Amino acid sequence: MSFGSPYVTLPDFAYHRPKSLDEALALLKEHGEEAKVMGGGVGLIAFMKERLMSPAHVIDVKEVPELRQVRHVPGKGLSIGAAVSIKELLEGGTLRGYAVLEEALARVADPMIRSRATLAGNLCEAIPWVDSPPALIALGASVEIAGTGGTREVPVSGFIRGPVDIDLNPGEIVTGIMLPDPKGTLSAFEKFTAGSEFSLASVAVALAGGGRKRSVAMVYGAVSSTPVRCAEAEQAVADGLTPANVRRAADMASEKVECVDDVLASAAYRRHLVKVITTRVLRRMMSA
Amino acid sequence: MREITVRVNGQERKRLVKDNELLLDFLRERLEVRSVKAACWRGECGLCTVKLGDHLVKSCLVLAVEADGKEVETVEGITPDGELTPIQKAFVSHGAAQCGFCTPAWVLATHELLQANPHPSEAELTEATSGLVCRCGTYNQIREAVEEVSQARPRLAKENLASS
Ligand SMILES: Cc1cc2nc3c(=O)[nH]c(=O)nc-3n(C[C@H](O)[C@H](O)[C@H](O)COP(=O)(O)OP(=O)(O)OC[C@H]3O[C@@H](n4cnc5c(N)ncnc54)[C@H](O)[C@@H]3O)c2cc1C
Repeated sequence: MSFGSPYVTLPDFAYHRPKSLDEALALLKEHGEEAKVMGGGVGLIAFMKERLMSPAHVIDVKEVPELRQVRHVPGKGLSIGAAVSIKELLEGGTLRGYAVLEEALARVADPMIRSRATLAGNLCEAIPWVDSPPALIALGASVEIAGTGGTREVPVSGFIRGPVDIDLNPGEIVTGIMLPDPKGTLSAFEKFTAGSEFSLASVAVALAGGGRKRSVAMVYGAVSSTPVRCAEAEQAVADGLTPANVRRAADMASEKVECVDDVLASAAYRRHLVKVITTRVLRRMMSA
Repeated sequence: MREITVRVNGQERKRLVKDNELLLDFLRERLEVRSVKAACWRGECGLCTVKLGDHLVKSCLVLAVEADGKEVETVEGITPDGELTPIQKAFVSHGAAQCGFCTPAWVLATHELLQANPHPSEAELTEATSGLVCRCGTYNQIREAVEEVSQARPRLAKENLASS
């Protein structure tokens, strides 16, 4: 029997399934801090089982049509609705031009989890080891937010304030993620796992433009409490992906990226993994 | 409490459920569909896998109320009356079940895979079943069973051309 013990039961809550964004916002306004938005529910249900979250109201936005769209906004980029599943995003070439995000999402958990989980939910969890935030930061993505007072847009890098801490007020909801036009950006993702699909270290790389205007973003996940960029490694490959530059970038990243000690891995081991995944990802990009 | 209506293996089932009830508990405890196993409770082992609408999902991470008005299929639903499907027969002939606890989930997942993709590569099989665990370690026998069903199926003319 499953009833009665923690980990297998959920706290009491009222379930709501709004049919429009306005209805969802009204529910969020009414219930404020008592409410949690549910996308795929994969994370929320797990958190509730462990009593890390006990909202009195769960607002399931899976059937809110405004959040179910993927739209190209001319001159801006691709806006991905918050209720689109990762599985849907990986189908039909939706993420063409955003290889780093496509590769990161393709390795999230397994197909059954991906048919429920959303990109917005993955980002909003802001757990240090989740895979989408480094990719989103490398691409310069931003978060589209709505509240009863209006809408706002913030870069993903600022949206994640700390572990499990995001820039979202009670009454607000993430409506989508905006990916800027790729404009020929070359990008890739690499993660290292051991024994489960959870990353012990991950890296997202995006190279945009050419010649003097080349910009490089190298963002590391799962090594610190939030994703971290490494300016020194970015500098090392700014004038091109040569074997020598790749080696220097891997050394720089391993030296400069701040890594934490925790139950999953020691800081020293993570520094080693940073070097390994940096080498792997950049070599793969060299031969692409 | 609220009343939900779910079509489970083709049969309409109406029940009162609590808002915080898991689909897993709804199926096992209220409807007594015991092929849906409760094991890890955290989405890792995959033994509570069912088909909800068009997708396989882990029912320990889905609320019962989310299934209201939808179709659910479990391994019982793929079996034609009194007969075994090709993948079930292959599981038997290859000894792809040891203790048998995970078998319903594996049969459902491999059946679904073979429906969508009659000739999966080894990599495609691994990917499609990456969310399932078999503690007895019958992964090789399961692979053989899937290969047998795949090989017994006629290839489409297009596939024959491509492989010749
Ligand atoms: C077995 C297993 C393996 C996993 N492996 C991986 C992995 O390899 N890599 C990885 O990155 N992750 C992994 N995860 C985590 C999983 O990817 C996330 O839990 C999932 O992406 C969350 O998305 P969701 O739509 O289900 O979010 P939900 O569970 O619905 O929500 C998660 C959190 O985000 C909030 N939220 C969701 N949508 C919104 C919104 N629109 N506006 C405001 N807040 C919102 C919720 O309130 C909640 O706090 C794994 C999880 C499991 C169970």
